[in-house]
Amino acid sequence: MANPWIAYLLVPLVKIVVILLTVILLAAYLSYFERKILAYIQIRIGPNRVGPRGWLQPIADALKLFTKEDIVPSRAEKLVYLLSPVIITVPALVVFSVIPFGTDTTLFGLLPQAIPPYLTDINIGILFILGVSSVGVYGVILGGWASNNKFSLMGGLRSAAQLVSYEVPMGFSVVAVLLMAGSLSMVKIVEAQRQAGVWFFFPGIVAFFIYFVCGIAETNRSPFDLPEAESELVAGYFTEYSGMKWAFYFLAEYANMVVVSSVATVLFFGGWLRPFPNVAALAFLDVIPPFVWFAAKVGFFLFCYIWFRGTFPRYRFDQLMGLGWKVLLPVSLANLLVVGLGVLLIGGPR
Amino acid sequence: MGNLEPVKPFPDSEEMEISFGPQHPATHGVLRVLVRLDGERIIEAKPIIGYLHRGTEKIFERETYNGTIPHTDRMDYTAAATNNQGLVGTVERLLGVTVPPRAAYIRMILAELQRIASHIIWLGTHALDIGAQSPFFYTFQERETILDLYEEYCGARLTLNCMRVGGQPFDLPEGWTGRCRAFVDQLPARIAEWEALLTNNRIWKKRTIGVGVISAADAIEWGLTGPPLRGSGVKWDIRKVFPYDHYDEVEFEIPTGASGDTYDRYLVRMEEMRQSVRIVTQCLERLPDGPVMAKVPKVIKPPKGEIYFSVEGPKGELGYYAVSDGSTNPYRLHVRPACFVNLQALDVMSRGLLVADLIAVIGTLDIVLGEIDR
Amino acid sequence: MSIRGFLSSVFQIDLAEGLAVTGRYLFHRKATQQYPEVKPEPKDRFRGMFGFSEERCIVCHNCAKACPIDIIHIADHFEEVEVEGKKKKKKVLDRYDIDVKRCMFCGLCEEACPTEPLAIWLTSKSYEASAYERNERLYFTKERLQSWEGVQPYPGVATPDEGQMPDDPTGASSRTAAEPRS
Repeated sequence: MANPWIAYLLVPLVKIVVILLTVILLAAYLSYFERKILAYIQIRIGPNRVGPRGWLQPIADALKLFTKEDIVPSRAEKLVYLLSPVIITVPALVVFSVIPFGTDTTLFGLLPQAIPPYLTDINIGILFILGVSSVGVYGVILGGWASNNKFSLMGGLRSAAQLVSYEVPMGFSVVAVLLMAGSLSMVKIVEAQRQAGVWFFFPGIVAFFIYFVCGIAETNRSPFDLPEAESELVAGYFTEYSGMKWAFYFLAEYANMVVVSSVATVLFFGGWLRPFPNVAALAFLDVIPPFVWFAAKVGFFLFCYIWFRGTFPRYRFDQLMGLGWKVLLPVSLANLLVVGLGVLLIGGPR
Repeated sequence: MGNLEPVKPFPDSEEMEISFGPQHPATHGVLRVLVRLDGERIIEAKPIIGYLHRGTEKIFERETYNGTIPHTDRMDYTAAATNNQGLVGTVERLLGVTVPPRAAYIRMILAELQRIASHIIWLGTHALDIGAQSPFFYTFQERETILDLYEEYCGARLTLNCMRVGGQPFDLPEGWTGRCRAFVDQLPARIAEWEALLTNNRIWKKRTIGVGVISAADAIEWGLTGPPLRGSGVKWDIRKVFPYDHYDEVEFEIPTGASGDTYDRYLVRMEEMRQSVRIVTQCLERLPDGPVMAKVPKVIKPPKGEIYFSVEGPKGELGYYAVSDGSTNPYRLHVRPACFVNLQALDVMSRGLLVADLIAVIGTLDIVLGEIDR
Repeated sequence: MSIRGFLSSVFQIDLAEGLAVTGRYLFHRKATQQYPEVKPEPKDRFRGMFGFSEERCIVCHNCAKACPIDIIHIADHFEEVEVEGKKKKKKVLDRYDIDVKRCMFCGLCEEACPTEPLAIWLTSKSYEASAYERNERLYFTKERLQSWEGVQPYPGVATPDEGQMPDDPTGASSRTAAEPRS
């Protein structure tokens, strides 16, 4: 594009707006889908009164949260209390800037030239994602501490310990993918899967399971949701939050779910590639646009999140930590060794 | 037995006392547990009851004998039929009346269906407390069928009032035995489904094995009855030891556990549901014809005397101690609730456990505050 | 641990079993009944709202004596009536009130009633009588027990005034072809 104002300012701005709106709307509707799918698993119907089949439920919830009274506990540390929901939500949204949703597209001919449908592709993509999403842990600790409630503090510390511990095996499982791909850039990882002709899920199946389990623990979801479960004695770190601030916490949780699903898709399931991208016999599947493939895979993972929530009991906290450190970490290290040997034998990354 | 010494893992650390308050989603009623914690470890867990006391035993003293029956429904409100069965059994023995066999078989069927229904509530809520949300809905769907059967029989679903002194108020309606049979025939498949969700599940096992252990000797000393006693290995069931109605004519097993932890009590109750299915099937096959009400006077006036009679309710031994002074109202009618005695073991079972396990222990004792507080 | 146990633990078979159960239920027919469009139908013996018939009541007070919580309040007086030339004393019902807010719908009053058909019955298949104000609206005088003012009959059920009978809540049997329903 000739005009730098358009290329470097307008296009990214438009992309930012589109991505933010999509993610926020997706997080809101994820709550609707969670309620519906959990209900269907539990032989009931779920929200079906607000709008046709309940489709307007998240809008009603958002309106209610907007108009709710803003309560700040009198002894709470006010600035930190107000800032914690922001600290936890912003990283979850910022991460979406490097996730690739598809290949260069003209949006079915609407645009004059093909533009990549992601905001940017930096050459340390996955490292950026891991680093930025770790900043969210501060929001948890500060939120628990600023509420001036000893149970919130305990819950916040427990949750933070859980998040930090599960980042380690997650990192190692990502390294296994990096060994296979040879680059940190998200787009190049997908390209490596295209060149290899197979999704990294197949050689890296152990890494995938470790990554997904750690991802569930990272987002505080069942079966690792002890810090926020209602039937436990110690209430979660967001007990003292109500109204829009509480909504931010839940927006952050759902956005994190989408992040984990998207990253799992890119790293292990070929991003926007169709199954077996190099097999010519399946070329008829190319009629489906790449970002539809991406969306379908992310949707499948989100469904798995909700499915697990409806099925499994939850781990006790010490068992949770034991699982992370004593089981997942050694397995991920062993997996790293095996994948490294395998890559060496094949002759280097793709 | 003496006083139990509190267990302190770290002698220098500070204790924290929390009231696991009367309003809590997991305490199954208005139970307050005063927990002394050292960090996360429980040093002592003291249950405080009385938030649901309604003076039931005092109310009994101003009612006629048949008028006390609706009040018993409301004690253990999850198992109304066995409450009724205990009371009418007590008064009949005071009167010296034998119930006709058809009525006794109907009572057995109602009581065993009630056992299944009560264990369904236990399973749903216990699983829900530990985090599994779905078994609650699957089990309650089956309970709906049981409640429908009760509604067809006596007109109410929860507070049944389905037995009278001397027999049954009504005979079974048209087609009831067929529907009951159809229900119990498909129930083992449902139980297998619930087991597929929980019994072999590693998370469930981690949360329940080794949690809330009580030895057989301790269980007998504390006076536990029902699944908490049988989970520790003691084979004691009132239906076998002091049979009432016609329990000695039907075949069934008493499941026991080996180690007295939560997982064993869970297995015991699941197996009890299957045995109840067996009992109901046999009763439906052998249901004799005849009247459903014995010859009792319109106004029931037992002779002077006192008696204790107990039934095996789903929670344990539910006993009634009746003192009659020859009038139409009981002089004293005391209830020995199974949950009240079982709840005493909460302290013993939860010492040294983490706080999150307290929920599991309360769930495994299967307490209903209506019975504890009366 | 046996080989099978080890493999089952590595491949998470126990978790997969649980997922299979919930996954199958995803496609089950749902059990929800959309109240109030679809109301659950009570069975025939269901102990619901009271029906009362003043003309059948013989004022024997059996129901009031049988009630475990004494919520039936009856007042009567004797009147002299001429029956076949002889002066007879007849009981006339002044007041027959039921304090429904205290009622536990145990059915003992219905069992105690000696008339045939019953003068007080609960097998009316109706259960919707909620009110915003308890003390006034849930205290039923004998007029309200028969007119069912404030009670929502189950669809098809007639009020006692319109001919509801203990064994026939729709009132069909008490209406002859000559008397159309008002």
